[in-house]
Amino acid sequence: MFQLFLIAFRNLGTHRRRTLLLGGAIAGVTALLVILMGLSTGMKETMLRSATTLATGHVNVGGFYKVTAGQAAPVVTAFPKILELVRKEVPELDYAVQRGRGWAKIVSESSSLQVGVGGIDVKDEPGFRQVLQIHEGTLDGLDEQNTVLLFEKQAKKLQVKVGDTITISAPTMRGTNNTVDVRVAAIATDVGLMSDFNIFVPSNTLRSLYQLRDDTTGALYLYLKDVSQVPQVQARLRTVLADAGHQLMDNDPRAFWMKFEVVNREAWTGQKLDITNWEDELSFITWTLTALNGLTGILIFVLLVIIGVGIMNTLWIAIRERTREIGTLRAIGMQRTRVVVMFLFEAMTLGALGTLAGALVGLAVCLGVDSAHVGVPEAVAMFIMSDRLHLVVNAGSVVGAMVFITACTTLISLIPSFLAARLKPVTAMHHIG
Amino acid sequence: MNAAVAQSPIVSITNVTKDYTLGKVVVPALRGVDLQVHPGEFISIAGPSGSGKTTLLNLIGCVDTATSGVVSVAGQDTKQLTERQLTHLRLHTIGFIFQSFNLVSVLSVFQNVEFPLLLQRKLDKNQRKERVNQLLEQVGLADHAKHRPNELSGGQRQRVAVARALVTRPQLVLADEPTANLDSVTGQNIIDLMKELNQKEGTTFIFSTHDAKVMSHANAVVRLADGKFLDRLTPSEAKRAMAAGAEGH
Ligand SMILES: Nc1ncnc2c1ncn2[C@@H]1O[C@H](COP(=O)(O)OP(=O)(O)OP(=O)(O)O)[C@@H](O)[C@H]1O
Ligand SMILES: [Mg+2]
Repeated sequence: MFQLFLIAFRNLGTHRRRTLLLGGAIAGVTALLVILMGLSTGMKETMLRSATTLATGHVNVGGFYKVTAGQAAPVVTAFPKILELVRKEVPELDYAVQRGRGWAKIVSESSSLQVGVGGIDVKDEPGFRQVLQIHEGTLDGLDEQNTVLLFEKQAKKLQVKVGDTITISAPTMRGTNNTVDVRVAAIATDVGLMSDFNIFVPSNTLRSLYQLRDDTTGALYLYLKDVSQVPQVQARLRTVLADAGHQLMDNDPRAFWMKFEVVNREAWTGQKLDITNWEDELSFITWTLTALNGLTGILIFVLLVIIGVGIMNTLWIAIRERTREIGTLRAIGMQRTRVVVMFLFEAMTLGALGTLAGALVGLAVCLGVDSAHVGVPEAVAMFIMSDRLHLVVNAGSVVGAMVFITACTTLISLIPSFLAARLKPVTAMHHIG
Repeated sequence: MNAAVAQSPIVSITNVTKDYTLGKVVVPALRGVDLQVHPGEFISIAGPSGSGKTTLLNLIGCVDTATSGVVSVAGQDTKQLTERQLTHLRLHTIGFIFQSFNLVSVLSVFQNVEFPLLLQRKLDKNQRKERVNQLLEQVGLADHAKHRPNELSGGQRQRVAVARALVTRPQLVLADEPTANLDSVTGQNIIDLMKELNQKEGTTFIFSTHDAKVMSHANAVVRLADGKFLDRLTPSEAKRAMAAGAEGH
């Protein structure tokens, strides 16, 4: 067996140019694959991190309160008790926050916008600082009552700066309009889609806008230590909350603001809770993820096919050139299967070394680009909700790519070596070229 | 000699034909050859270029198949054997010295000679080493064990091919013009080596040659002409016949 390996190695060494060419091509594909996957995973991760921080927790306890059957408000009443229960029953919890939810009109001297209004206690929101880049002002400014955080694009549209005052106007549960004047405390760099229709104010400011009680909020956002535990936690919360006497809505995997119509049509009044997860709340943007995945997939596929055909061609020629040698080995008494194994081993060695080199290069590029904090064009920033390129290398998928490409190389060489080994020894020995 | 003849033949060829097809043209290379070779014989196949010597050796060596007729090697009808069994026969029973050497270019002289032993898996590393070195000594290439074939002269490559064919101590050795590329001294050495093996171990040799001096060592000279069996002569008869033939032209 050792001799087979020796022949394989020597052959690779003897045809150095071809080996380098083939190995280089294989390394290139691998590197490209690793980079593309890193980019795709990184974009997904960035997007989900921004989105989960700004618009949803991993698991949310939200709900609706109805004074009359057709008048639903997206609030959770008497939330401190629920929060206490959650903290007790969910050991997987990293941290939990309460967020006010609203839909309002913001008006400046020159312009107005219809936006979603989030009510936050900025001190309790560690994730916010990581996700948002404050362009002007400070996040801590939101500690004060009657302040607001806008995004750059909104500030531009409204023609306001930090320190300026704008008015928020919204219909209350009783059907009348209420307004609150707020001071711009911070302007954050745009984070894509999210920043187009979201502003943030202190929780109490939101409460006074909607004339809500102190123990009322929009939803509890639960952030877990491990996102994969979402389904368990969600299921447990349903039973625990039901047992504690709360009315629960049927599971509906959509964002809360898409549910008004359904809720308003139902006859019940009072409070019902709704347990959702981040995928539900972001269902309206997950198509971008699907598109991203599809795009990466197509790109990778086309690349693989093009380069695969090239590699196949070269491998076939390389093996055909050695038909005489195959004939000799067969004439000496080498079985067909061993001849094939010898070539497979050669291709596998080439594939393994090539993919290893490629993976290292790809890895280096990913880490390099990631730490260089390369900026992205605005169109991309809108998708990924971040202005910086973030690449994440997933060890599993890199190894997967290496194994896959090595397997392909090996399989491709199976055909010509099988054909060559099948020839009569004398025919193979007299093969020309 | 008589004892040898009494044994069943190691090679038995009955009415064998071989056609090569080149596109639409059929070239008959052998047209009905019969030949019996008994264990321990040292047979020379003679005949002009193109008479079918190589073709015949290829059939006996199981690297090619006859168009019709029966080729039996070591008592087995080669038509009845599977490719696997044929390969096994080539590895364990036959040693073949090809007209064009056919060495593995990426292996050293030592590794080339060792290769059949590795395929056989009968000897351990030290035994292999001993056997290979002994043969390289005998063919006069002990100093070239580490060289690659492309660093050797034609004659040296020829000798590597000889060593590779003999290293497994096969029952039957086929040699296609084993001395064609050698000077008379080395050629004589190779013939002596073959002769020694033939006498000591009873190895059967069938070799083709144009060289009357080489023929003179054979038990018998089988002459082919135009793909047909011409006659089976003693070396001295053959010498005379060929001299007459040469005069006749
Ligand atoms: N692969 C082949 N394809 C077609 N014809 C062939 C092939 N090999 C041999 N022949 C033909 O078969 C006949 C016998 O060839 P062969 O090689 O057996 O002759 P030979 O006696 O060995 O000649 P030489 O002394 O030159 O080696 C020749 O006419 C040759 O042209
Ligand atoms: Mg010949």
